[in-house]
Amino acid sequence: MMARPQRWEAPFGPEMTETEVEKLLNLPEFRAIDSESFPKHTPLSGILENDTRIMKYKSGDIVVREGDYGNSAFLVISGKVRVVINPSLPRSMIGRESTKKRNFIEALSQLWTNSSEPELRDTSRYGSQALRDPDSGDLTSSHVFIQDIPAVLNSHQTAELESGALFGELAALGRVPRTASIFAENDAELLEIRWQGLREIRKYDTEWRRKIDERYRENALKVHLKETPLFSDLEPEELEEVANSTLFETFGSFDWNVSYKRMREQGKSAEEPIIAKQGNYPDGLLMVRAGFARVSIKMGTGQRTLTYLGAGDYFGFDELWANKTTGEQSLQTSLSALGYVDILRVPAPIIEKYVFPKIKDNPKPLLTPSLSKSMEADAPMEWALDQRFINGTMAMLIDLERCVRCDDCVRACASTHGGNPRFIRHGRTFDNWMVTNACMHCEDPVCMIGCPTGAIHRSLDSGAVVINDDTCIGCGTCANSCPYNNIRLVEIRDLKGQPLRDPGTQKPISKATKCDLCSNNPGGPACVRACPHDALRRVNFQGEETFTGVKV
Amino acid sequence: MNAVTTRYIILWVFSAAFIAAFATYSSISNINLGQPEFITGYVLFGLMLGLATFNARKKLSMVPFGRSAYWLAVHVVGGIAALGLFFIHTGNVWPTGAYEQALAIVFYLVTISGIFGYIIQKIYPKRLVQTELEIIYERIPAELSELREKSESITIACTENTGSDTLARHYMESLRWYFQRPRFFLSHALGGAAAEHWINQSYQTVSRYLSEAEREYLNNLNDLAKYKSKIDFHFACQSMMKYWLLAHVPLAAAVLALIFWHVIVVNVYAL
Repeated sequence: MMARPQRWEAPFGPEMTETEVEKLLNLPEFRAIDSESFPKHTPLSGILENDTRIMKYKSGDIVVREGDYGNSAFLVISGKVRVVINPSLPRSMIGRESTKKRNFIEALSQLWTNSSEPELRDTSRYGSQALRDPDSGDLTSSHVFIQDIPAVLNSHQTAELESGALFGELAALGRVPRTASIFAENDAELLEIRWQGLREIRKYDTEWRRKIDERYRENALKVHLKETPLFSDLEPEELEEVANSTLFETFGSFDWNVSYKRMREQGKSAEEPIIAKQGNYPDGLLMVRAGFARVSIKMGTGQRTLTYLGAGDYFGFDELWANKTTGEQSLQTSLSALGYVDILRVPAPIIEKYVFPKIKDNPKPLLTPSLSKSMEADAPMEWALDQRFINGTMAMLIDLERCVRCDDCVRACASTHGGNPRFIRHGRTFDNWMVTNACMHCEDPVCMIGCPTGAIHRSLDSGAVVINDDTCIGCGTCANSCPYNNIRLVEIRDLKGQPLRDPGTQKPISKATKCDLCSNNPGGPACVRACPHDALRRVNFQGEETFTGVKV
Repeated sequence: MNAVTTRYIILWVFSAAFIAAFATYSSISNINLGQPEFITGYVLFGLMLGLATFNARKKLSMVPFGRSAYWLAVHVVGGIAALGLFFIHTGNVWPTGAYEQALAIVFYLVTISGIFGYIIQKIYPKRLVQTELEIIYERIPAELSELREKSESITIACTENTGSDTLARHYMESLRWYFQRPRFFLSHALGGAAAEHWINQSYQTVSRYLSEAEREYLNNLNDLAKYKSKIDFHFACQSMMKYWLLAHVPLAAAVLALIFWHVIVVNVYAL
């Protein structure tokens, strides 16, 4: 007897029946899989029953939107879908109507146009985004569709995907945004596989693993390597060799935010799987492809953080270089996963063969400056790492030794957002620093995962994570996913100030709200401008000067 | 040197030059039997109007009128410059004439309240951080109410479980007063330790009459009392930081009104 895998307590598609699973097992893509290679507690049929769902798309329905953070891949069962290659579909067409930035007069007019009732909405706007039955509660039907497919085919370069094609797996497994929009050309049936199931299939079936890895090597790895300074000088054939030798590894839980949130509520520290241990032999260069990892060194009975690594950073280079030049050296530091981390491991012989010959001068050790800092100087960063604030690119940091608690920042936020502030001047504190409950516009925006309408997205203009109020259906998925509790659902009113209710259930209509960095207002975040004491800053925790000085 | 210090140094230098220029002009004009009061008076009036716009800036936070921190720096330095210009304008610290003296009193009160506000805003935030507690001002009543309920339940539990009403009696005689609402406002605001002293005294007063079991409950109450003292400290400091403006802003409005009438009177009778 074995406990049912926890994720199967809530199947991905509740309507999946045994008959449908049988049908799926007869598809060529699954028929070729050796079901015996799967462990008994995670059989292929179980994965198909619990980690997949059949999605039906009508002609024109958008299956995935460029820029979305997806947690699933799709297999075309029947019908045809099209990938929009170039140019991208207009933002309004994929349900992301970009709102116009106010000019000076319009910004000023908020002084008299803001109602005394908060959260007023012009409900006539909600019909303008080509939404298809958002209230049905059926998440297996698409919400956004293209009305004029021939026009899109004429004006955009597209590629056709037919039965048997798999797409979206790189975004699903790598926590990277979808790189293209895909829509149904005619009525199509697709199998959506959530990342957990996809990971299992990749793990136990060599053919699926080969296919997925090959596609990653082909589509993303070479570009990633080319962008890394160490490999940028390599010839195409050398790069090919490096790409073919690179190993893919993942550490930590993909949905780290769920366990992290739970641990935080219980006041515990989150787990950090070890990627490389101090004292071990460096068998390769570890490159962070996605997520964050902590570099630490033994100190007393604990680990002292020296720095942390994000996408594009690498670990183990100093030791590999020392091994080549001065003799054998073990890893001087440890590397552990903060949340979910994707690692590319380039074997040491490959580095020695292709990278070291191109290095003429002795490279500077990467971690020397960090070791010279005092423990006291490092304490705020240790705290930020423990709290996972390092995910934030525009976190609201308040210096409490300057803050006079006047709430001018809160009032400024409210006056630029129709009378309701988009943050709470409260949050976790360390010494004189407070990270408030304001959206941090995370590097890894887990809030975007699972949004059924793609309403929460990263702005192409500013990079901020914003919510399209017109397409938000108030389901609360983003608010539940945010590990920092920085998204709030508010009950909305019509322009006359009357609360809006669902005619069927009489429940209030809600919308998700959060800090949008005043993207519609001129002059940047009003909270920063409003602080008379230079106490409030928006910071990127990856910056060296996050906790020092005042940037003006 | 950080950016804030640099900003203030630039403004102080500019302000000193501004005052020196007007002092020189006033002195030369007086020697030449001129009337420098007209120029210095109008400049002072303009400066006062300029300083008052800082309050309007706070209401217009949705418009990019520059960072409030720059405005505050100009307001602080400009306010001190206005004091210097006031001395140059009047020729001494205490003008002649009842109306002008009334105006001077209100002007001094505005200046003093401004300096007071500036000083407490420099001192209190640092002291608040030292409490290791952060609380939103508007949540203080709710937090105190919760503490009151907790303290009452501890007292009731003590009586029920030990069968003794000594602690309950002490609670009714002494601690109830303390948990009722924020206490020791002035002591907290002035940096005194009256609350701490009171809590310790209260503990010692009753402790000698309690059994070991009862003392456990007293210790719990003592922890709550210490926690409340921190909240009271926040209440006192945050209240001071909020409400000094209730003196400064109306006084500033009054001084502007008095100046306005002063300008009319001077133009009608002195020209």
